[in-house]
Amino acid sequence: MAYLSEKFSRTFRPLGIVKNLFKKPMTLKFPYETLPPLPDYRGRHALDLEKCAGCFICSMICPNKAIWPVEFEGRKYPQVNLGKCCWCQLCEEYCPNKAIKLTPHSMIVTMNKESAILGIGKEGFIPKHG
Amino acid sequence: MDIEEKELAFLTMPFGPQHPASGHFHALMKVEGERVHELEPHPGYLHRGFEKLMEYRVHVQNCPLVDRICILDPFPNELGYVNAVEKLGGVEVPERARYIRIIMTEFGRILSHITWMGVMGMVLGFDSACRIAWGDRERVIRLNEIISGGRLYPCYFCPGGVRRDMSQEFIKMAFENLDYLEKQLDFYDPFFFDNETFIMRTKGVGKLSAEEAIDLGTTGPNLRACGVDYDIRKDEPYEVYPKVDFNVITREEGDAYARGMCRRGEIAESISIIRQLLNKLPDGPFRTEIGPAWAAPEGESYFCVEAARGELCFHMVSDGSPVPYRAKVRGPSFSHSLVVFPYLAKGGTIADVPIIYWSLDGCPADMDR
Amino acid sequence: MIDKITSLLKPKFADSLLKIVGEGKEITLLVKKEKAHQILSELKDAGFNHLSDVSAVDYIDEQEFELVYHLWAHREKIRAIVKVRIPREAPKLKSVVDLWTGAQIHEREDHELFGINFEGNPNLSPLFLEDWEEIPPFRKDFDTRKYVKEKYYSEEEEYPVAKG
Repeated sequence: MAYLSEKFSRTFRPLGIVKNLFKKPMTLKFPYETLPPLPDYRGRHALDLEKCAGCFICSMICPNKAIWPVEFEGRKYPQVNLGKCCWCQLCEEYCPNKAIKLTPHSMIVTMNKESAILGIGKEGFIPKHG
Repeated sequence: MDIEEKELAFLTMPFGPQHPASGHFHALMKVEGERVHELEPHPGYLHRGFEKLMEYRVHVQNCPLVDRICILDPFPNELGYVNAVEKLGGVEVPERARYIRIIMTEFGRILSHITWMGVMGMVLGFDSACRIAWGDRERVIRLNEIISGGRLYPCYFCPGGVRRDMSQEFIKMAFENLDYLEKQLDFYDPFFFDNETFIMRTKGVGKLSAEEAIDLGTTGPNLRACGVDYDIRKDEPYEVYPKVDFNVITREEGDAYARGMCRRGEIAESISIIRQLLNKLPDGPFRTEIGPAWAAPEGESYFCVEAARGELCFHMVSDGSPVPYRAKVRGPSFSHSLVVFPYLAKGGTIADVPIIYWSLDGCPADMDR
Repeated sequence: MIDKITSLLKPKFADSLLKIVGEGKEITLLVKKEKAHQILSELKDAGFNHLSDVSAVDYIDEQEFELVYHLWAHREKIRAIVKVRIPREAPKLKSVVDLWTGAQIHEREDHELFGINFEGNPNLSPLFLEDWEEIPPFRKDFDTRKYVKEKYYSEEEEYPVAKG
C-alpha cells in the first residue's frame, strides 16, 4: 500500500511545476534595470591632482606594473593602464596623501588596446574610451 | 588476431576542453563500441605558473594573485596563504578578524556546493536545476560585493587580519539570506536530490572503497562518502573552529550518489555554523599593520585548510627576505582528476564518464595552477 | 606516538637519521638519501597511510635539491614531514609508487618542473608544457621576466606593446 501511494505521488509530482508559471522571474532586464551600485565597489580610478606628491609608491606596489609616470604641466603624474590592472585596490591603500581612488564606475568597454590607458587632464584621469 | 587489427578495433575520441560537460579539462578516451578501454588525461590548459610568479612579489602583493588559484571557491586559497605566512612570522591576529574570516569561508563553501549542484543538473540533462541554482548563487555573491568590493575575486584577507570592517548592514542582510537559503533547501530536496533522474543515473556508478581511496590520495567529501571520518576542521582545528558545534557528514556506499548527498548535508551544517558565529561576534580592531616591506624570518611552514573540494595545503619556505623563497600549493583536484578519475572510468560506458567526473568535483584551475 | 616512532627507527637507522624534532602533532625527520625509501616504508607500516604531497626546493647556493614528503596518519591524527637532500648535478631518487599509488602524479610534476629523475615511476612524460626546449622552468637560474620579454614583447621598456 505504501509502495502504491509512493508511486502515485511520484507520477504526479512533476505537475507541481505549474505553480512556477505565475511567479516573478529572478532575472533583471539588463540594461534597462540593474542592481543598485554600491559606494565601495572597485571600479575605474580617479586622481586628485593637488594631493598627488609624485612619490610613485602606487607604481612600486602595483603587482602587475600597470602604473607608469607621465609628464603633465611640468610635473610627473601616474598613468594607469586598465588592460593590465587587476582591481586589487593596493594603490589606494598605500598612497600617503589619498590622492588616487577607485570609483564605483564599472561599465568599461573598448575596442582597441591604446584607449585602455587613462589619460591625464585638468580634473585628473580622463578616459580615452567610450 | 594480428597486432595491427587489435589496434584498429579501438576508436580514440576526446573529452575535450570545449565540451559542455567537461569544464576546461581535456582527456583522450580509447573506446570500443560503448565501453571505455582506457582514459588518459592531458592537463595544462590553465597552467599559469603561480608558484614561480609568487617568488617575484612581496607578501602583500601576493594576496590578489592567490585568489585566482581556484575560481569557484576563492576564500580557502586566501585563508591558507595568509595563515602559512603568519605561522612563519609569528604575527598576532585580532579575534574579530578571525571570526570574520571563518564566516566568509563558510559562505564560500555554500556558494561552491550550490554551483556543483547546478552543473551536475546540466550534465544529467536537467537544465532547470542549473537556472534556479544560478539565481541562488547571486545572493551569496551580493554579500561578497558588500563586504569587499569585488564579486568573484574578493582579495579580502591579508597577513595580519582583514582589509575592511564588517558593517551592521551586512549582518542584517546575512541573516535574511540565511533564512532564504534554508527555505530553498526544503525546495531542492524533492526537486533535485530525490529526483528519479538523479537517483537512477548516479546509484552504483563509480564505486570506491575506503582502502583504495586512501591509497590514491583522495580527500574531502569524496573520502567521507566512503566511510572515512577525516575533516581537517575537527582533526587539526585552526582559527575559531574549536568554538563552534557541528557534525561531520559521512556515508557508507562510496558511489556518486553518496558523494552528492554528502555535499547536500554540508550546506545545512555551514548555515548553522554561520548563525552561531554571527551571534557571538566580538568588538575590537580588525587588522594589525605590518607594512609592505615586512620580511618573514628564516624557516619553513606547512598549513592545511579544508576547502569545499578537499585538502588545500601551502608549503612556504623563507630565507629572510621580503619575497618568499618557495611557495608550493597542493590543490585538492590534482589527485582527484588525474589519478582517481582514470581509475574509475575504466570499464564503464561513455555515458558514465561525465557523471563520474562531476561527482568528484574537480576544478581544473586548481589542478593546473 | 612521537616517542614510539623514535624508539622504532633509532635502533635500525642510527647513522641515516640526522635529526628528529617533534612538537605537538607534527614530527620532522631529516634523513640521508640512501635509506630514504626504507624509512618511508617503515613509517607507512607504523600507520602513516596518507601521502599529502611531494614538494621540491632548489637550494642553488649549496648546489642541492631538497625533497619534502608530507605524511598523515588517519588513526592517530599526527603529521610527519620527511626531508631528503640530493645533489643538483644528476638528481635521481628511488620512487615511492610501490608504497602509495597516488605519489605517481606528484613525482611526474617534479620531474617536469625541476628535472629530478625518479627510478621506478611508470610514466614520466611531460604534464603541463608542450615542446619545451629550455632548462626546467622552476629552477632558480631560469629568469621568467627575461624569457617573457625576449619572446613576446618588443624592446620598449615604458609601454610594452605585444607582438606576434
